[in-house]
Amino acid sequence: MMATSATKTQPAMPAADPSRTPASFDALYRDHVDLMYRFATRLCGETEAAKDLVQETFLNAYRGYHAFRGDAQVSTWLYTIASRACMRMRRKRKGEPDHELSLEEFIPTSEGEFRLQIPVDGLSPEEALHNKQLRQALDDAIAKLPKKYRMVLILRDMEGLSAKEVGRIVGLNERAVKSRLHRARLFVRRELSARGMATSHHAHNGHPAPQGRM
Amino acid sequence: MAKRAAAGPTPKSVTASTHRHGKGRCVAILKKLSAYLDDELPGDICTDLRRHLGACPNCEEFLTSLRQTVTLCRHQPAPALSAAERARMRTTILRAARPR
Repeated sequence: MMATSATKTQPAMPAADPSRTPASFDALYRDHVDLMYRFATRLCGETEAAKDLVQETFLNAYRGYHAFRGDAQVSTWLYTIASRACMRMRRKRKGEPDHELSLEEFIPTSEGEFRLQIPVDGLSPEEALHNKQLRQALDDAIAKLPKKYRMVLILRDMEGLSAKEVGRIVGLNERAVKSRLHRARLFVRRELSARGMATSHHAHNGHPAPQGRM
Repeated sequence: MAKRAAAGPTPKSVTASTHRHGKGRCVAILKKLSAYLDDELPGDICTDLRRHLGACPNCEEFLTSLRQTVTLCRHQPAPALSAAERARMRTTILRAARPR
């Protein structure tokens, strides 16, 4: 990618860190492959693409391994490589437009929209978390998110990173991360609750049906 | 909540038609709900927001569903890689990464 003429006058690689050996890379792989696979599955939604992404991530990591200075956590570094690889892979494959989500589209215009509920009525918090349909609905909702919003939501709310770390990974300031995160959550909320309207015929028990709910 | 009750009906009996907070106020609240859930708002804004939520069932329910969304995300399990797949991928990666 870099201009080849410039590389002639420069050393091909920075001085190799003696601790960066194939064996230490192997250890790094073993320690982080599960983390990266989980992240990749969440990003890609299906196993084959996730495996491709993990492979691509570690190959790119290997190429940059000698230059990795350890001033970031290894996991942060790998998340960054995976995020970039994901952005490239998906773009190449589908050419899907990564449209912006405007806050306005999530502002309810009717009483019913305000009161859309996620269909967890009658379920204890634990049951809700283990409810298969709900989990599937959540996967579907996340898959529908435009990629750059999906990335932030997954890193923050699923991988559990701080807004600052997410910013470092995706190259945004904290404020922009929070703004994307809020839109992504609003999107997922709407998706989950819209589905709830269709499937929650059993879920009105104990609720005074507010006007305009349906 | 008790304080607000003096100013109107209790939230339980508030219906769509008696919701008088004005959409502008609710919109301003909705924009801050993630920051509220993540405990990022300054104290005074937080107090204002809570006061509004106590009096506005619409925003309160909206918050509940947004909170549930975040909780579900936090606890969504992801499939694990099998030992065989982990080993197979390792071989592929190390082979491809080996300098030629």
